[in-house]
Amino acid sequence: MAQPQQPTAFFVRGPSPFARLIFFFALSIVLMAVDARLHYLTEVRQGFATMLYPLEVVASSPIRLYRYVTGYFSGQTTLMRENGQLHLQLTRESVELQQLITTQNENAHLRSLLEVRQKLHYPTKLAEITHIGRDPFVHKVDVNIGSQQGVMAGQAVVDGAGVIGQVTRVYPFSSEITMITDKSLAIPIQVERNGLRAIAFGHGRDETLYVPYLPANVDIRAGDKLITSGIDGTYPENLAIANVKHIDRDPDSPFARIVCTPAAGTDRYRQVLIITAPPAVPQIETEPPATIRKPSRHAPRQD
Amino acid sequence: MRPVRISQIYLGLLLALLLYLLPWGGFGLLVRPDFILLVLLYWLIRSPHLCNIGTAWMMGMLVDLAEGGLFGQHAIAYIVAAFLAVVYQRRVTLFNRWQQAGYVFGLLLIAQTVLLILKLFSGGELPGLAYYLSSISGILLWQLVIYSKIKVTGDKELG
Repeated sequence: MAQPQQPTAFFVRGPSPFARLIFFFALSIVLMAVDARLHYLTEVRQGFATMLYPLEVVASSPIRLYRYVTGYFSGQTTLMRENGQLHLQLTRESVELQQLITTQNENAHLRSLLEVRQKLHYPTKLAEITHIGRDPFVHKVDVNIGSQQGVMAGQAVVDGAGVIGQVTRVYPFSSEITMITDKSLAIPIQVERNGLRAIAFGHGRDETLYVPYLPANVDIRAGDKLITSGIDGTYPENLAIANVKHIDRDPDSPFARIVCTPAAGTDRYRQVLIITAPPAVPQIETEPPATIRKPSRHAPRQD
Repeated sequence: MRPVRISQIYLGLLLALLLYLLPWGGFGLLVRPDFILLVLLYWLIRSPHLCNIGTAWMMGMLVDLAEGGLFGQHAIAYIVAAFLAVVYQRRVTLFNRWQQAGYVFGLLLIAQTVLLILKLFSGGELPGLAYYLSSISGILLWQLVIYSKIKVTGDKELG
């Protein structure tokens, strides 16, 4: 539709810019409030995000083509060297693996002797990171599988080295993962050396985590490994989260300042594993046990 | 200046959205100029009767959807910048290149500041001064408009 420009359109038709500003401003504020407080817009957002998905695929196609081409032309020598390295690593690890099987059997036996619940094996799904978050101050990534593939919000995301984060928003064909380094994510931890439990928070600004609210004399040293405690029901237990980088004990502050670096490659790898087991919420007994019940005065005496 | 067709405007905005959706990462993400706001400002100054505050609001909502953040934060930032661009549109077309660059830079800074305030309200933390790098890269990109054939001002002002 060829609409000729009117060079002398001094009188703007329609509402004045100020009226438009006020109208759209109010509309945005209402949407913002509805989105943030009432969570009515989840379906609307999912619908529109699905509409944007083809655009995202188009936008990321040049990068994917570049990766494909460079991967195709990576020399034979590189591949051979990598193959050799992998063989060496496989041999080294197969020895450890044999020991591991023995240890696992022994562990299972001892656990069954102690009547402890057997450790569960968690089903996982491989996902590929399609986008780093668009906001440089929020540590979130998008991956290429969504609710159609059985991903649910709240599921834990790991890679070969440890926990990466948690699925926070699910669309039909993609989902959003909040990294453990994001400011809004807290993760229950346990110190591997002494079993101390605490909660770690993402720092948000750089790729670190911190463990607040621990007293200055807490038994944590630089180099300690932090693992998941598993008591939250979201993360499986005994997965590596972070290593303590340094700990400041400021005499003016009652709390220690503990800075940790994540164990997983939160900013390195492109493939991640989503643990698709439904979060095992611990059963809480609502009925008080009979022994605590206060004896009624009129109850017949039992003696 | 040639007459503008409305399809040109939407094609430009679509291209800007695609540039925005490119998988940026690391330092590139930090210095990524706000393509959509730049294209919006260009059309707002050049033909305000075709591209208006409503267009800015719509693009802001699309950005919010793509970013997955709070609904309407980019929309508010864009409409504030669009309002200031439309109100002084007649004067901006008479500016020389330095005045125009300064004015657009101011608009980019205002949009980013509005966004920052909204993010702080919704529980974000104060980012460093690197936050404003994208305004600087944005105004560098705007030089393309000033020194090319698609400039918004008339010919004689660019002597």
